[in-house]
Amino acid sequence: MSLLKGLTARARSLLASGASEARMEEEFRFHLMMETERLVAAGVEPVEARRRALVAFGGLDQHREAMRDGRGARLLADFLGDVRYALRAMRRSPGFALAVAITLGVGIGVNGIVFGFVDSLLFRPIPAHNANELVGVFTLDTKSGNAGLLAYRDYLDFRDQSGAFAGLAGAAGIPLNLVAGNSPGAPAAADMVWGEMVTENFFSVLGMRATIGRLFSASDAPQGANPFAVLSYESWKLRFHGDSSVVGHVVRLNGAEFTITGVAPPGFKGIRTFGFWPEMWVPVGMHDVVMPGSKNLLQGRGDGWIYVVGRMNAGWTMQRTERAAGLFASRLAREYPASNANFGVTLLPGAGGFDHPGFVKPRVLVLASAMGLFASIVTLLIICANLANMQLARAAARAHEIAIRLSLGCSRARLARQLLAEAMVLAVPGACLAAALVRLGPWLEQYMVPHLQFRVGIGATVDDRVFFFTGLVAILAVVLFGLAPALRASRPALAPSSASVIGARPRGARPRPRMRGLLVVTQLAMSVILLVGGTLFVRSMFVARAMDVGFDPSSRLLLSVNVGLQNYDEARGRRFYDDVLTRTRSLAGVIDATWMFPVPFDTYGRGMTLYADGARTNAKDGTVITDASYVGDAFVKTLGLRLQQGRDFTIGDSVGAPLAMVVSRSLATRLWPGKDPVGQRARLGGAAGPALIAVGVVGDATFISIGGRGSDRAYVPVRQQHRDWETLIVHTRGEPMRVLPQVRAIIAGVDPTLPTFGVMTLQQSVESGFSTSRMAASFAGFFAALALLIAAVGLYAVVAGSVAERTREIGVRLALGSTPGGVLRFIMGGGARLGAWGLGIGIVCAVAMARLMGGLLYGLSPSDPVTFVLAPLVLVLVVLAATYLPARRAVKLDPIAALRSE
Amino acid sequence: MALRHPPESDALRGSIDLLVLKALSLAPMHGWGIGLRIQQISNGRLEVNQGSLYPALQRLEHRGDIESDWQSTENNRRARYYTITRQGRKALGEEVDKWKRFADTIALILES
Repeated sequence: MSLLKGLTARARSLLASGASEARMEEEFRFHLMMETERLVAAGVEPVEARRRALVAFGGLDQHREAMRDGRGARLLADFLGDVRYALRAMRRSPGFALAVAITLGVGIGVNGIVFGFVDSLLFRPIPAHNANELVGVFTLDTKSGNAGLLAYRDYLDFRDQSGAFAGLAGAAGIPLNLVAGNSPGAPAAADMVWGEMVTENFFSVLGMRATIGRLFSASDAPQGANPFAVLSYESWKLRFHGDSSVVGHVVRLNGAEFTITGVAPPGFKGIRTFGFWPEMWVPVGMHDVVMPGSKNLLQGRGDGWIYVVGRMNAGWTMQRTERAAGLFASRLAREYPASNANFGVTLLPGAGGFDHPGFVKPRVLVLASAMGLFASIVTLLIICANLANMQLARAAARAHEIAIRLSLGCSRARLARQLLAEAMVLAVPGACLAAALVRLGPWLEQYMVPHLQFRVGIGATVDDRVFFFTGLVAILAVVLFGLAPALRASRPALAPSSASVIGARPRGARPRPRMRGLLVVTQLAMSVILLVGGTLFVRSMFVARAMDVGFDPSSRLLLSVNVGLQNYDEARGRRFYDDVLTRTRSLAGVIDATWMFPVPFDTYGRGMTLYADGARTNAKDGTVITDASYVGDAFVKTLGLRLQQGRDFTIGDSVGAPLAMVVSRSLATRLWPGKDPVGQRARLGGAAGPALIAVGVVGDATFISIGGRGSDRAYVPVRQQHRDWETLIVHTRGEPMRVLPQVRAIIAGVDPTLPTFGVMTLQQSVESGFSTSRMAASFAGFFAALALLIAAVGLYAVVAGSVAERTREIGVRLALGSTPGGVLRFIMGGGARLGAWGLGIGIVCAVAMARLMGGLLYGLSPSDPVTFVLAPLVLVLVVLAATYLPARRAVKLDPIAALRSE
Repeated sequence: MALRHPPESDALRGSIDLLVLKALSLAPMHGWGIGLRIQQISNGRLEVNQGSLYPALQRLEHRGDIESDWQSTENNRRARYYTITRQGRKALGEEVDKWKRFADTIALILES
């Protein structure tokens, strides 16, 4: 309410200013003076007369307020009138209104979305207490300048001895095999989740309070005695439906029982921005339980594993803290020269996230964010410039009406207000569209971040801040595209007589056509570049879809397990793999089944180093690094690979038998150029390693994965080289998902606590492999269409503006016998010239850009002829349309009226 | 200022617009003059609170019933003069008719 009152007061003071106020005061003064004089003339004492005059007049202030109220009501009524007028004008030209709504809406919306991302990325601290006191602590090699993670022993010393921090906590990410019923008593479901092992003071250093239950405390420090877990808020909502009885509930993590003690605050997705979102936190005290058999993360110095976050001492600056921590680091370097040579520390402000500065460069983030914001703002500015040009052209076309209104005593301010109101009315649909678009931010993020096994992302949210920013941008846009034309349109017609007497045009009446032309050419060139890029991406996507992947993706089910998390040893793991295969193959509707990891289009890749005499390689030791997959028997048949020579793996390629491998055609020619590959040997790891015998050669297949190395691939039997993580491929008759319940039942029958993950069909996996290119294609297509629309509006505005300004000239031409066709050519010629420039510059830039893009295109030449014909053709059509529409109006001019128009 | 005949004035005060229009229908006049004229026409029976004329004038001007501009008085002082417009005259005629009908009706009721 107080806000409303304040606003009212401000509006009041606004109304109290200006000419009408001065007029009111003068009238009041005059009135009192006349009344006083009348009374004096009637014989009253002057002082008494003045008093009586005042009394007769009544409360001065009260009357002043009444006048101001009257003026306010007037303004409102005028405004509503303007809005009605603008709505009528909008109905008359719905095409224009639509163009404004779309370009402005998208322009503002993109600003809002980009702001939302940048805000979440840079300015959204984790939900900690006094987050500005938090710093990320990393090691710094004082010689090389490389940053790294702290080791646990060093962390302990920093925490307990350095005195540089009020508190120091650490976290290390770990995959967890979670077995949890949704509620006590419900059947348990096993799943792979991302978790973090944290120091017992983690939540207290961050100053977090549990949503329910309790977080960790000092009592959770001892090794092995604290099987407790804290749930993330999201996980609590998703997995446990926000049930508060979850506190005290027992779950199994990597086979061991843990009691859930509490739920972290909402929105807390771990301290890192670029990392998997942890669902669970366990104390470092449980290291040996959650990370059995692995290298102990709690030992050692120097290079480590722990993401460390520190709370600065009260009143300390970051510089002071960094100095103190640096001094302590050099002490550690002296004390432990073997492990901690060149040991230093570097701090990062916590507001920017706590990511490894070696992987996520803070400066790059800021730069990328600034560029994103800048680009979206510039786009909006261009849109506003175009719309302002358009408004100007419309205003120029209405110069006659405006001149009449001015001569009839309509004030300039009144006219400007009306044009501004018109701009506002035009902007409302755009702003609504923008508000809708901004909500798409989080949805867009899903498509922009890679789909990995665990969730990642910046967790962009649409909140008041984003809406506030978007609203601000919208208002700015309205002022930009409404105010400039409003100010100018109300000026030139002000004193037409004086201008024509002096023989000069009123200042600003003719906008600089060169500037406008340049702007339009730039826009057209940009849209050519985006059109070419978009077309290339879209075409590349279709080509890629049709491309032979070298295997058969249809009717195949994928499902992954990680037996290592269940503490299986090799023998038990092999038994598990065999059992599952045997039972799955016996299912009705199953043609075949095998194990394989990685499968085609998997997120992950695995490499292998092989040595063969005479191999084609650049490595000094003569080794070849290749991608590798660890497979079960009959994998060639199950996956539908093309066997070119030799044989598939059999059950006999197992422990005790000679080490076998099947190679891809590319790898075969690299390892043994010019030789028959079957029967050849390659040594694992180097010249001294065990020998693998090539038993078969398959055609090259497409395995897109992170860090993939092309078509070289070695397939080795998992029965000979055991791996914990494998994916079951089931080749089915008909819809593969139909056998999923049976396959799940088989796995649960062998080990009910083993989680399965990554369930999908191979077809889906291939599709998602192309999702990046699909996303790029749709983005490029969208921006190309947007750029084209913006450029079309810009060109339209310029041509319409020139028609409006040259109405008289056109009238003369028509009166002197020019044919309508001649006028059309003359007007369109100007627009076409701009179009030709834009197209020419755009094509040159597009060719250069297409070269750079070459690596991102599957099976498509960067100089794809179809693209380079299609894109310019579309642009030419748009240019013609954008110039023809306003030019047509020039042709329809009545020469007499046109001559009279100035 | 206390009104001399409160009941009568109450009824009339609401019709200040009508009185202003009537006063201006004779000749253009400034605010003070309009107040004086209303007083004179009513034979001093009606004395409106003089300041409240001005919001009424503003309202009428916004409505387009009157116009105003700066002119000199006979004493060569600058004053805002108000003129009734054609629309104002029309409005006045309608209002007067309405008033007469109203007054007749009241009279009819009271005399019956």
